[in-house]
Amino acid sequence: MKTLFALHRVKLAGLAVAANLGLIAYLVAGEIKPVAIWSWMDVFGEGGSALLVLCWIVLLLKSRPGGRVTALLFAGLACLFFSLWMDTLDEFIKVPVSITWDKWLESGPMPIGFILITLGIYHWHREQLAISQQMEKREGAFREHRLFDRLTPLSGADYLRLELQQALKTAQEDGWPLSLVVIDLDEFGHFNRTHGYAEGDRVLQTLSQYLLLNLRRHDLLCRLAGDRFVILLPNTGEFQARQLAEALKQAVAAWAYHRDQDGERLRLSASAASVTAREEDAESVLQRLNRVLASTREPIRARRA
Amino acid sequence: MPSWRENDERFIPAHYQPVILIDMLLGCGIDSHKLLRGTGLFHEDLLTGEVCVSPRQFLGLIGNARQLLKADDLSFLYGQRLLPGHYGAASHALCQVGNLEEALTLFSELRNLLTPLVAPRLIVEKHTASLYWVDAYGCGDQWRFLLEAGMVSVTSACRWLASSHLPWRFEFAHSQPAAVEQYWVHLDENVHFDCQVDRLSIPIEFLHQAWPGGTSIAASVARQQSERQVIELGARDGLLGALQIHFEKHIREPLNLHGVAEAFGCSPTTFKRKLKKHGTHFQQQLDLSRKRIALHLYRERGYANEQVAAYLRFNDATNFRRSFKRWTGVSPHVLKQDLG
Repeated sequence: MKTLFALHRVKLAGLAVAANLGLIAYLVAGEIKPVAIWSWMDVFGEGGSALLVLCWIVLLLKSRPGGRVTALLFAGLACLFFSLWMDTLDEFIKVPVSITWDKWLESGPMPIGFILITLGIYHWHREQLAISQQMEKREGAFREHRLFDRLTPLSGADYLRLELQQALKTAQEDGWPLSLVVIDLDEFGHFNRTHGYAEGDRVLQTLSQYLLLNLRRHDLLCRLAGDRFVILLPNTGEFQARQLAEALKQAVAAWAYHRDQDGERLRLSASAASVTAREEDAESVLQRLNRVLASTREPIRARRA
Repeated sequence: MPSWRENDERFIPAHYQPVILIDMLLGCGIDSHKLLRGTGLFHEDLLTGEVCVSPRQFLGLIGNARQLLKADDLSFLYGQRLLPGHYGAASHALCQVGNLEEALTLFSELRNLLTPLVAPRLIVEKHTASLYWVDAYGCGDQWRFLLEAGMVSVTSACRWLASSHLPWRFEFAHSQPAAVEQYWVHLDENVHFDCQVDRLSIPIEFLHQAWPGGTSIAASVARQQSERQVIELGARDGLLGALQIHFEKHIREPLNLHGVAEAFGCSPTTFKRKLKKHGTHFQQQLDLSRKRIALHLYRERGYANEQVAAYLRFNDATNFRRSFKRWTGVSPHVLKQDLG
């Protein structure tokens, strides 16, 4: 809350001043109605609406950085609030019939507010298109913020499952092949123990950005768990998927990762594998993918003691 | 002085396992007051390095942590940091082991220092070495978290010390969870669910391969020191852990509440009350022990039904089959087929 008021001090103060000026103007011009003739229905209806609009304003300011879209939406909502506020005051204070400016204060800001909000929403729409462009390769057909990964700017396994189910259905209907690639850092546990868990987290964050650069436009990258990433490849056959897996493996080997504390270059390597979906459900594709990955690793044999 | 601990005794040094979890959560931006709420612990006290926590407090802390972070991978990431750890001589001893057998023996012997709530029991047979995970205090809702962390801690420490991948087999009594990918990535592909018991096993031929870094003199010194450490800290088995060990030793003798209570130095009524405090009762614990032993005999010694029945002191086969079905939900025949 502290940051909310600090960041939007001017906006919120302006709104408070306007609301208070309205109140003072009414008090000066008119007189307070006796309680007996208050219309409680109107008080709740108009006062409640004003309060809700105030909630919208707080949520808006809390959830968005400043800028044009925020300013437009704020100005629109502020007009709406002012209008409803004056309407509510009307229930408590009687203004003489000879005065006409009170009608202006009540009804004037409303249409202006709606126009501003409409403008704001239009620009918000443009902004969303731009953001979606930036989310390319990280987001499929739908958005679900509850499935975002905690560490990397990707989505997690549950989101992958949803997208995979959808993609399997589409692939079956259209008869296109659908492939998946998995990529897993080698000896990441060892890395964490040597360089610290914070450095390990940084590797995962950087790696997710780096992998994105090496993907095609319609591919979807998710973090399955830990240091394992899965890429969903629509319209991609077995051969192409294997090529991509190999390319990603080489990309990781060539990756110049620099340690945070002293900038020393650390070399990393990864294992990769790919599968092409058959007629099966999402869970079994994922399971098969992970089994294939395990089989690419060197077989474990007991050495002579 | 009893040879076991109860869940409200404060003996786990707060700066051992609990602080690792607290540090992780604080690193994720979780508020320390919220994390410690209801546990009776204070952040300032933890910094002194002299506070001990009870199993119940530790479980409360885990419950808070899970609720605040709501992350499927918390137990696994926590497990990775647990071992060898910074637990004085015990950690030193672990770093000096020369092979897997020594490591597993240490996990089992120093269980009350290294993994105080989950007590791994090592049983080595002809083909397989098994670590059975025993709920030493009645961990309830937090058992799965502790088990996941325990399995990860042991296998990731072994991988680190052995500098190579080991072919573990992971068996869990619970069903496959929704976030099964965490098991694949942090444990292995060789994970099995609905297994009746919680067990980690490995073929025997991996037990004696020499590991790098093992030094025999330093190892034996560290080991002696860690044994002293166990005594100094008063780290003893939890009531339920001690009870399971007692059952295991005396399973071929008649076992009843009266006799076992006497062996534990209390009256049957007191013993019953203590078990209730840990969320269980005598018959449940006895059944758990018999189930574990029966499964072990089937799988690791290839016993037939009659042999297992005789081992567990059942007079007739029908009676044994009925009991077995009560413990596991399936008949011995079906279970043996499942085990292949």
